[in-house]
Amino acid sequence: MMRALWENPQARAGLVVFGAMLAVALVGPFLVGDPDAFVARPLSPPSMDHLLGTTGQGQDVLAQTVVGARTTLGLGVLVGLLVVAIGSVVGGLAGYFGGKVDELLSLLINVSLVLPGLPLMVVLAAYLPAGPGSMAAVLVVTGWAWNARVVRSQVLSLRKRDFVDAAIVAGESPLRVLVVEILPNMASLLGGAVIGATTYAIGAQVGLEFLGLGDLSAITWGTNLYWATNDSALLTGSWWTFVPTGAAIALTGFALALLNFGLDGVTNPALAAGAGTGAPGPQPTPVRRSP
Amino acid sequence: MTGLLPTLLRRLGFYALATWAALTLNFVVPRLMPGDPAQAIFARFQGSLDPAALDAMRTAFGVSDTPIWSQYFQYLLHTAQGELGTSLVYFPAPVTEVIGTGLLWTVFLAGVSVVLAFVVGSALGAWAAWRRGGWLDRIGPPLLALIGAFPYFWLAMVAVWALGFQLGWFPVRHAYGVDVSPGWSLAFLVSMTQHAVLPAGTMVLASLGGWLLTMRNTMVGVLDTDAVRYAHIRGLPPHRILWHYAVRNAMLPSLTSFGMAIGFVLSGALLTEIVFGYPGQGYLLLQAVRGQDYPLLQGLFLTISLAVLAANFGVDVLTLALDPRTRR
Amino acid sequence: MNHPTTSQHAVFSLVVAAGLACAPPSHDRPEGVMVVVQEQQSAWLRNFNPFLPVGSSRWPSAAGVHEPLLIYSPMTGDYTPWLAESFRWDVPAEQLTFRLRPDVLWSDGTPLTAQDVAFTFSLIQAHKALDQGGVWKLLAAVDAPDTHTVTFRFKQPFSPGLLEVGHTPIVPEHVWSKVEDPVTFTNPDPVASGPFTEVVRFESQVFELGRNPHHRSGPTGVERLRFPAFSSNDQITLALAQGDIDWAGAFVPAVERSFIGRDPDNHHAWFPIVGDTVFLYPNTTVAPLDQPSVRKAISLAIDREKVVQVAMYDYTVPAHPTGLSDGYAEWRIDPVPEASSWVRHDPARAEQMLDDAGFPRGADGLRQNPDGTPLTIELTIPAGWSDWVRAARVIARDLRAIGIDVRVQGRDFTAWFDAVARGEFSLSLGWAASGPTPYRMYRTLMDPDGVEPIGQPAAGNWGRHASPRARALLDAFERTTDRAEHLRLAHALQAVFLEEAPALPLFPSASWGEANTRWVTGFPSEANPYARLSPNAFPEPLLVLTHLQWRDTEAAP
Repeated sequence: MMRALWENPQARAGLVVFGAMLAVALVGPFLVGDPDAFVARPLSPPSMDHLLGTTGQGQDVLAQTVVGARTTLGLGVLVGLLVVAIGSVVGGLAGYFGGKVDELLSLLINVSLVLPGLPLMVVLAAYLPAGPGSMAAVLVVTGWAWNARVVRSQVLSLRKRDFVDAAIVAGESPLRVLVVEILPNMASLLGGAVIGATTYAIGAQVGLEFLGLGDLSAITWGTNLYWATNDSALLTGSWWTFVPTGAAIALTGFALALLNFGLDGVTNPALAAGAGTGAPGPQPTPVRRSP
Repeated sequence: MTGLLPTLLRRLGFYALATWAALTLNFVVPRLMPGDPAQAIFARFQGSLDPAALDAMRTAFGVSDTPIWSQYFQYLLHTAQGELGTSLVYFPAPVTEVIGTGLLWTVFLAGVSVVLAFVVGSALGAWAAWRRGGWLDRIGPPLLALIGAFPYFWLAMVAVWALGFQLGWFPVRHAYGVDVSPGWSLAFLVSMTQHAVLPAGTMVLASLGGWLLTMRNTMVGVLDTDAVRYAHIRGLPPHRILWHYAVRNAMLPSLTSFGMAIGFVLSGALLTEIVFGYPGQGYLLLQAVRGQDYPLLQGLFLTISLAVLAANFGVDVLTLALDPRTRR
Repeated sequence: MNHPTTSQHAVFSLVVAAGLACAPPSHDRPEGVMVVVQEQQSAWLRNFNPFLPVGSSRWPSAAGVHEPLLIYSPMTGDYTPWLAESFRWDVPAEQLTFRLRPDVLWSDGTPLTAQDVAFTFSLIQAHKALDQGGVWKLLAAVDAPDTHTVTFRFKQPFSPGLLEVGHTPIVPEHVWSKVEDPVTFTNPDPVASGPFTEVVRFESQVFELGRNPHHRSGPTGVERLRFPAFSSNDQITLALAQGDIDWAGAFVPAVERSFIGRDPDNHHAWFPIVGDTVFLYPNTTVAPLDQPSVRKAISLAIDREKVVQVAMYDYTVPAHPTGLSDGYAEWRIDPVPEASSWVRHDPARAEQMLDDAGFPRGADGLRQNPDGTPLTIELTIPAGWSDWVRAARVIARDLRAIGIDVRVQGRDFTAWFDAVARGEFSLSLGWAASGPTPYRMYRTLMDPDGVEPIGQPAAGNWGRHASPRARALLDAFERTTDRAEHLRLAHALQAVFLEEAPALPLFPSASWGEANTRWVTGFPSEANPYARLSPNAFPEPLLVLTHLQWRDTEAAP
């Protein structure tokens, strides 16, 4: 499947860009100077010494953007994986066992879904001690339910398929059935879910930090924008404090979106943009893991 | 049991339970936070109150020392009666009055944005699916995805700066001009529209991509079905196929999302209101959080939860009515 | 031809509305309407109760709608008689008599008399929640011997009490005596004595106050004050730049570029450095901050020039060694001998002091306590106060440079305030009270009477430094009204401060004031400092309001 993804032009573009972002996040901080240091007059425009100019506190914008990538992307990917993991477990159990278990877990999922996410995030973020752990907790608590619901309905429908029945009759334990038979058939769904959850995590993080509810001493994309606004970036015409971080966030989100498009296109070729003129295509067959 | 009524009752039961859970969470969450409202009051006076005055304030503000269980039952009882208490940050205004200042504006702004984004996005999505491979189908989703990938407040601030500040074309704050007063006059309606352009416009732009994609993907699936192909063969006029067969069948998932989005209207405009200084519930929430204003926080959460639950219920009813397959 | 149908009408109206909506917004003012911004709110609630804090009641309530007996301004260093025409100490520091102006009327035409003043004080005595200034901690009795004389007797000699008494807003007895619960009374249609008392318009987004028909003086040509709701500093800065606000007190970053530069003829900002001094507060009950030498070493490590440049955009200057700002120029010991000054940047000396105090550097370069454990101190600040966050980051770096591991911890304002008031912190930023004399500042920093045990909230002296020598000097201060004696005691207090180092001065606060003179003139400025420009400087806005003048429309560009 990875090969199919690579051949899809959109997915390839997305992977390349996102990969580049990750590379910058991992390696970049060693190549730029200390982002916290006072290097030149505040709000100086881009120049040869400082390619992206300085912030309102005299710090190097390029360094801040590069170092900010590390925390934001790192936390974003981690939360994305966590959200899907928790959602899959809860949703999977609900979908697989059905009956009372399903009713109880569905209740939990649905109640979590109807709680207003953004206000709850604001409240939690305001009171928990500042730091990446709190931010991760806030994002996971408000984000896991959506995935749980999606996974649950998919597991519910897959559960009824005959290959699952066959595995159960053959004596496989529920856990093994779930992990070995059902989940691999949801690979594309889960892949899409991780991408979506990572996008959500990055966006929500940045939003909360912009409101001043994150760890203001940390250097992240969100706090960069917070400080830029606080230092009247736009009113003083200091676009360089505001645009690079915004562009970096947009590029990352766009890369993930492209990856998602590509994934859709691979799993359901009829959806690929420009594919055919409406003539019927082949029905996609489920990916089957042979025992 | 199967059939419409029992299913409906079962859903209603779930929503009652969910409402209780939301109310309980509303009660518990603020109290988990460190500090208490009395200290918040003390902090607002920045220390110039003497202890006797502080005690008097506590009594006046209704901060009680009764056990948590009795507070909880009092809270449930009062909420059922519509008594949401007195705000601390806006003392002595009742919570209902405080929420009232922002409720309608949030509903207006977010409601208009959601409806516009849904209508325009779905229309574009249907068109993109209809003309597979055309420029809208190829460029639309990626372009809108790129725009939507920018943090919303970033787009909003750039719009404020470029269109409002540099070019001066649109107002950049408030729901209406301070020279007019609310009322059914043309001047006020014009002012209200003018002030909604940037906030609603940016909200629509940021979310357009999602609606477009949902509609397009579903339409592609529907256009592939036998029913549509048969309609083509029968020689039905294209616009009839598009509307009667394709769009109507493809609408359901979009409508479901739309229903949910309407429910989240009350909670979704926070960043817009902050960037555009729009007098809605979003900023009230932020102030309630910063001032540890339990009554106001609870009141706001309550309105939002109820709105979401009501919308969800509406969507459920709609789905049951439109799609017989869901009646078990 | 058919008549237009309803739907055609609707479409037409929509098009017209859309077309009209495309007209660019105007930045003009109706004649006589001045736009003022002080509070940050997203929606207004109608409350003009002058005894509630700003935020609960609208800003002009205490000084604009209602008025106090006198007004103190640090710009003039003087008390301007206001509702009172004169005052004197019958018994120095114990009995104070005010003579009221004979010509003051309430906005409903009835005369303001001593009865109203006595009633006001008895009101706040009966309802403690209204006593914001804590005036009844000091007073024993208030009498009105005749219609225009009021006498205040203090429980104990307390000369600084002139400020608390003089700044209390006065309310009419014939209205407030009929109010059932003054604490929840919102005073929606105020009967008051100030220049602006009529609520001519009140919507959740904007409210307007009109002139008091019976006011004795007041601005010329300014008929209404308009208060649009602004919910954030960014919004206020943007509106100032667009020329939509005439008078504000906001912290504007890069004010030259973002505000003044937009309209140099009309946009004026004035930030006199006469506010409270911001200190780095050590918790003097916690080791190793209980040692004065350690505190002084920390102070010597901080580069205040950098703090001021990075955190405060050079709007202020490093603090004077005594912690007193330029507003106290005549009270200060100037110059402070270098040997006793620890308020300067001297990292070498700081390192020496720490070495001598027994805090050696370990193998990793960071200092250790005498028992070998690493020396780590937490610096707590309110997370949302961006200027303090910036300052804290600079301070943390400077301290790290001399080997102290300082961790900056941001907390939500209420949680932060709660923690510092209870003494549950190690290092924090904070302010100290200011007033007509240095008395209040040093009382906040060193008064043993203000020390509460850890865990009990304290009104001041968060660092819990108890200085018996300071108490003796403060006692003497309270007992006299003689200025020469006050000066001598102030010098002695400064000497104690320099020796004991209870808190570390960083920089004096500036008073933020912005004015737009396109429509209104008469604001105070550096050239004409009759009051502070900032509307935050209670109760000086009354001085400003009565000086203002509406500009000739022909003269406005």
